[in-house]
Amino acid sequence: MKFIFADSLDYVDPAFDFIADRSPAERQPYWDDAYPHEILGYAPYDGVLVSRGIVGDHRVKGKYTASQARRFRLVGARKFLRLDKPEFAHLEIFGDCGAFTYVQDERPPYTPAEMAEFYDECGFTHGASVDHIIFDFDAGLVGMAGGSAEARQRFDITLENAEGFLREARAMDADFTPLGVVQGWSPDSMADAARRLVAMGYDYLALGGMVPLKSPEIKLCLEAIRHAVPASTRLHILGFAKADDIDSFHGYDISSFDTTSPLIRAFKDAKQNYYLPGDGLALRYFTSIRVPQAIENPKLQRAVKKGMFRAEDLVRLEALALGALRAFDRDEAELEETLHHVLVYSAPLFEEKPHEDCKDSPTLARLAQRYRATLTERPWKQCSCKICRDAAIDVIIFRGSNRNKRRGIHNLAVYQDHIERLDLKRAVEPSDDLPRRLCAAEQ
Amino acid sequence: MTYLAVCAQQSSEHKVLSFAAKAADVLRFATIDRIGRDAQGELNGFQRPQVAAHIREIRDYLEKPDAVLPNPIVVAFTERVSVEELETGVVRLSIDMSAGAPGLVVDGQQRLSALADLDRDFQVFVSALICRDEAELRRQFVLINNTKPLPKSLIYELLPTVGDLPPRLSRRSTASDLTARLNFENTALRGYIKQHTCPEGIIADTVMQKIIMESLSNGVMRELIRGPKGVERCVRLVSNFFEAVKKTWPEAWHGQKPNSSRLLHGAGIQAMGDVMEVLAERAGARSVEDFRDGLASLKDKTAWTSGEWHLEGEVRRWNSLQNVNRDVALLKHYLVGLVKADLRRKAKLAPAPLLESTPAPS
Repeated sequence: MKFIFADSLDYVDPAFDFIADRSPAERQPYWDDAYPHEILGYAPYDGVLVSRGIVGDHRVKGKYTASQARRFRLVGARKFLRLDKPEFAHLEIFGDCGAFTYVQDERPPYTPAEMAEFYDECGFTHGASVDHIIFDFDAGLVGMAGGSAEARQRFDITLENAEGFLREARAMDADFTPLGVVQGWSPDSMADAARRLVAMGYDYLALGGMVPLKSPEIKLCLEAIRHAVPASTRLHILGFAKADDIDSFHGYDISSFDTTSPLIRAFKDAKQNYYLPGDGLALRYFTSIRVPQAIENPKLQRAVKKGMFRAEDLVRLEALALGALRAFDRDEAELEETLHHVLVYSAPLFEEKPHEDCKDSPTLARLAQRYRATLTERPWKQCSCKICRDAAIDVIIFRGSNRNKRRGIHNLAVYQDHIERLDLKRAVEPSDDLPRRLCAAEQ
Repeated sequence: MTYLAVCAQQSSEHKVLSFAAKAADVLRFATIDRIGRDAQGELNGFQRPQVAAHIREIRDYLEKPDAVLPNPIVVAFTERVSVEELETGVVRLSIDMSAGAPGLVVDGQQRLSALADLDRDFQVFVSALICRDEAELRRQFVLINNTKPLPKSLIYELLPTVGDLPPRLSRRSTASDLTARLNFENTALRGYIKQHTCPEGIIADTVMQKIIMESLSNGVMRELIRGPKGVERCVRLVSNFFEAVKKTWPEAWHGQKPNSSRLLHGAGIQAMGDVMEVLAERAGARSVEDFRDGLASLKDKTAWTSGEWHLEGEVRRWNSLQNVNRDVALLKHYLVGLVKADLRRKAKLAPAPLLESTPAPS
């Protein structure tokens, strides 16, 4: 099972100075920054997925600047991602449309021909057909029942585009492997789409629209699709948000999936921000410690603008919190004292009140409990990856993209190991006991 | 706290005086009064929030041993100061600190914030203004901070002659230097670029700098400028490209102005900047002839001076394209698409190479 990382310019500055809290003045974004495979010294994934919607163009505003997007299209994905070295030659580069960026539109903004051209021109190894997301998933519907008029229209658009896309890819003798995207409003409608994609000639299918679905729902879809297509048909899950749950998906013979979850959980989750390998095949999670930049954090700045806090006071509390954490890391400060400084600075952020006025609030109590667990365990000292060795306690501080994305990249590395352990486990177990696995997964 | 100060005769209503003080001391006798509202909704204070990036840039500069800061921090007082005349024009200023800092920083808060973090004994000039009341003090703040900035094109033209600039400006400086060379050396664009010192130019200098900066940061000039004779080669590249443009569309170039030809307009120049990148990067174009070959496919598909543009699903009158992001992006996409299609066609027509194809020269 291949773990494909969905990138959206997720790099960090290797020269970032944690003490001065800044990049060198002459830093040039992208050029002086390092992708996960550069900062770790190896690729913590089997491939990278780039969405056209993330790159952006004159219709869809992406995450790339216009000049980065132009460069991407001029030099190709591999060179742009700096995967053009022999040690990364085995990595696959998947492309898709990024259907979430045009989810509101009546039709996708791209034609099958221009997407095929885009993949070919940019040197993708795999390219997904032009799909349109269907909402209102209902696991209970049987056969082709149900589905709103809009869902059915999107179903037809996705299949029509898949047909055109395969034709274009063949006509241009494209170098990439085309993936037919499955969209549907129920397991059976997806199975029908999958059957038709196979009939068109696809032998690699990608399941779209999985992001809002819960794990058991995704499994129902996979099961229906697996019944409808030959065993040789490979399956990819697009935007697999339930990446932590991947061990329960083994029985479905998934060839590959893409996700960005381990990275973004580092800074978009309320508590599970830092990964470590756990007992058996599990992962362990820790909450990162929020110390935002006093004069850059939008919420604190809003409070300063309104006159609720003085900027100078916030700066002082911020320095106390950071100083205490560093001292704690050097064994020069006690846990409770450190925690206190962090919480005093957390009060304006979480409660918009001075610490004195809200120190017993449930929010701060919850925070204190999670922070205490993190500080007690010192997980950053339990990891030997290059990031944790270099950044020490800063990897666990929730503050700015350089710390947050470093933590995310560390998570990618832990996650890749996790996937490998699962694969190894599968290799020594009989692989034909699907029913038992299905039951085990639902428990 | 007391300071010896010089006093200027300016107004009978206010006293104005000047002295040198350490930044840390300024922050002891004066506070930065940020604008906000109290519980009753009354407005108080006046300073904007700190701007982190701005402070960082000032700090980078002040860390250098040869840094100077000749312009003063302006501090206003309405009470708790006394001025004793020692001799004509020289006074002793006494600041009563018993009830906290009586002064308010009217100008220079970002500089002070930068200095506050700086581990260095650095004195600044303080201009102190003693005024009647808070209202007068705010009036001074508005007047002092409402100055008209210098025209950008003047600053940009000066940049190449100034050393040791913050990186933000030094990248602009390189682009400004290349632009000036294109305008004043023997190039296809000589005299064409409107600069502060070349007001009769036709193409906006900021637009020319924009395409150059893009190329320097993510395009063909990035490598080029680092090589031997980098600056000359960059100037030559742009010159050769625009020479080819002139030869391809002479009627849309000669004697035209931005309002009569979109080719000389911000939208056209920016879009052509992208075309230059594609031809240089994908086809290895460097000479006038290389670029002319590449531009030939566009010749009859433009509407620089009349007619209509047929931009995917959108028909636009020639003069309805404006120098706004959306229009520029649309035009870029259209022209670059045609050029790339042409390059693909040529690649297919080319006989299969006997040997492994050599990479395009860069």
